[in-house]
Amino acid sequence: MSAAPALPTSPPGRGTASPRPHRIPVGVPLRLAWMLARPSATGLSASALPVTAFALVTALLLTVVAGGLSFFQWQDETGQLYLALAAIATALLVVPLLTLGGSAARLSARRRDERLATLRLLGAPASTVAVMTVAESMMLAAAGVLAGIIGHLLLLPLVQLIPFRGEPLGSAVWMGPGPLVLVALGVVALAAGSSVLGLRRIVISPLGVRTRQQAPRLHWLRAVVALGVIALVAVVMGNVGGAQDFATVVVVLGVGFGGALGVLNLVGPWIIGVLARRQVRSARTPERLLAGRQILDSPKAAWRQVSGVAMTCFMAVFGGTGAALMNSAGPLGGSERYLGDDVRTGVLITIVASFLMVACSAGITQASLLLDRRDLYVSLDRLGMPVETMNAARTRAVLFPLLVVSIGSALTAVVVALPLAGLALIFAPLSVAVIIGCLAGGIGLVVVGLRATRPVLTHILRNPSAAL
Amino acid sequence: MTSFQHGTPPPAPSHVPGPAVLGARGLTKSYDATRALTDLSLNVHAGESVAVMGPSGGGKTTLLHCLAGIITPDTGQVLLQLDGGTTDIARLDDRERSALRRSTFGFVFQQGLLIPELTALENVAVALMLLGVDRSSAEHSAAQWLAALGLAGMEDRRVGQLSGGQAQRVAIARAQVSGASVIFADEPTGALDSGTSAEVMDILLRSTTGTGKTLVVVTHDDDVARRCARTVRLRDGRIVSDSLSPAAGAVA
Repeated sequence: MSAAPALPTSPPGRGTASPRPHRIPVGVPLRLAWMLARPSATGLSASALPVTAFALVTALLLTVVAGGLSFFQWQDETGQLYLALAAIATALLVVPLLTLGGSAARLSARRRDERLATLRLLGAPASTVAVMTVAESMMLAAAGVLAGIIGHLLLLPLVQLIPFRGEPLGSAVWMGPGPLVLVALGVVALAAGSSVLGLRRIVISPLGVRTRQQAPRLHWLRAVVALGVIALVAVVMGNVGGAQDFATVVVVLGVGFGGALGVLNLVGPWIIGVLARRQVRSARTPERLLAGRQILDSPKAAWRQVSGVAMTCFMAVFGGTGAALMNSAGPLGGSERYLGDDVRTGVLITIVASFLMVACSAGITQASLLLDRRDLYVSLDRLGMPVETMNAARTRAVLFPLLVVSIGSALTAVVVALPLAGLALIFAPLSVAVIIGCLAGGIGLVVVGLRATRPVLTHILRNPSAAL
Repeated sequence: MTSFQHGTPPPAPSHVPGPAVLGARGLTKSYDATRALTDLSLNVHAGESVAVMGPSGGGKTTLLHCLAGIITPDTGQVLLQLDGGTTDIARLDDRERSALRRSTFGFVFQQGLLIPELTALENVAVALMLLGVDRSSAEHSAAQWLAALGLAGMEDRRVGQLSGGQAQRVAIARAQVSGASVIFADEPTGALDSGTSAEVMDILLRSTTGTGKTLVVVTHDDDVARRCARTVRLRDGRIVSDSLSPAAGAVA
């Protein structure tokens, strides 16, 4: 009988259990992060998705900020008004873009959950896991930011053609290297911050297991508060014509606008939850049931994904009808003669950019959901669920809140600015039709974004061994 | 729905097999350079429980997937006896095999793999809704199955609120609610402790072979295999033994 092979011995000084934890050199977590971030055959999608998301965020953010900054070129009195309007549009776009950036960061952190949780089980201290996650998220963000800068530079010639005040924006859209680097660093910092927030769960529990308990219910008081604010805003807006002072009118409009947007954020998730619950109750087909339940699982997440469109639709109706009305009143003189057309151009650009963001966000979120739940989709395929049913449920889970949000916020804007909207419909029906057409086109854009994720599902179902 | 008496012990495996409901003829399947099945032939008889065992990489899961029409073999036939006729599953296209899995086969996986957003009741009812059954009838049948498997009162629980054993019972109900005549289970107790594992096997056997259905189980667990009427052992893609459980005596 041959002797059993000797077991390998531990390196000197490492084999004995010591009650005193030794310090882990700073470089270790960084080296581990680099190992985990390297693309591999199985992990390529885990890196590619967040990098793509960061690239899109950066390209859009740089273009939006550059567009906003280009309005500094006009220093006259009308220029100040243009700057104020550009600031509103930029704010409308930057906030959802930052949310999208946060999603991308959470995506990169979440896709590492398992491996990080394994490292925790192997005894890696919380600080090591924290440094690793942040470092990895920043590396992926940096790669995406570089790609995004290239995307922005490719977009620039198109943006330069957009006319404002009678001539194309031209070279004014180039923000210069300083602001560009600042924005890029901002995206990387956002990735770091979001990943710190996202990794708490892994650090708290080494098992890192996600358990879904009861779906959250939002309180109906949200709706009561929202109705109250809308009624108040409508009354204030109805009386704004009586004010003599232009500054008062601007302040009242601003407060009304902001109040209504706040209401949308408050009531949006609640309405989506209520409607999804109704859809679940009345669902006759598996896809309707699945979509409704998926939305109900987190109405807030469903709202976050499409809230950018809510703001834009609200602003489109509000600002767009105003601009249409301004144009129909006849040409203004001097530097204000392009104001009506330019506001409409701004509104249309904001609508397109906003829907583009939602399309990107929906595409990235859906692709990541598919990859996270690949075992479930493979099992559904094995049970005989047609792939069309799976795709229909996924599409519905995004389009349902999107339609609720688009139509709901546009109607809210109509109520708030009823006199303005009514007049615009009578005097400038074509302008109103263009805005509605853009909203419809935007929804189409989101559908395209969702369709782009179908090959991901096809790939998962064709390669089931990686899932089960 | 085929009902069965809840609480009764599983019937003893039959010594006399019924007619072959599934027949593999000369199955060969390769993944790139790796041969998973080599000229494998096997009959599965109506109403019997067959455990498929063997080392990892021996071809167990590939055989189960070929029999269930999840994948097609490179060569060979998979003959299904259905309604007096014979169908070669290996020759059906993807859509036809998908329809067959919906209507004729049931599946139980290691982790249950239920849809986390749906309730227990909805998870079971979805299998019927996919066949075009209206929702209220589907939920009625689903509730009966859940009650029969000891889950009455848990219909509205979501997957995260169920224990591993309870989730697996929901999966067993889902596999059979559509009236499937052949149930395939891939390591159905692999993620459970021994006590829960025995309970789940009780329920699986009682609800399948106990009512005349056929059960094919891929397992590493000797205890699970002993509960089945017949054990087929695979190595390197070939059958190395095929025997009835010791109590039943050896076949062939």
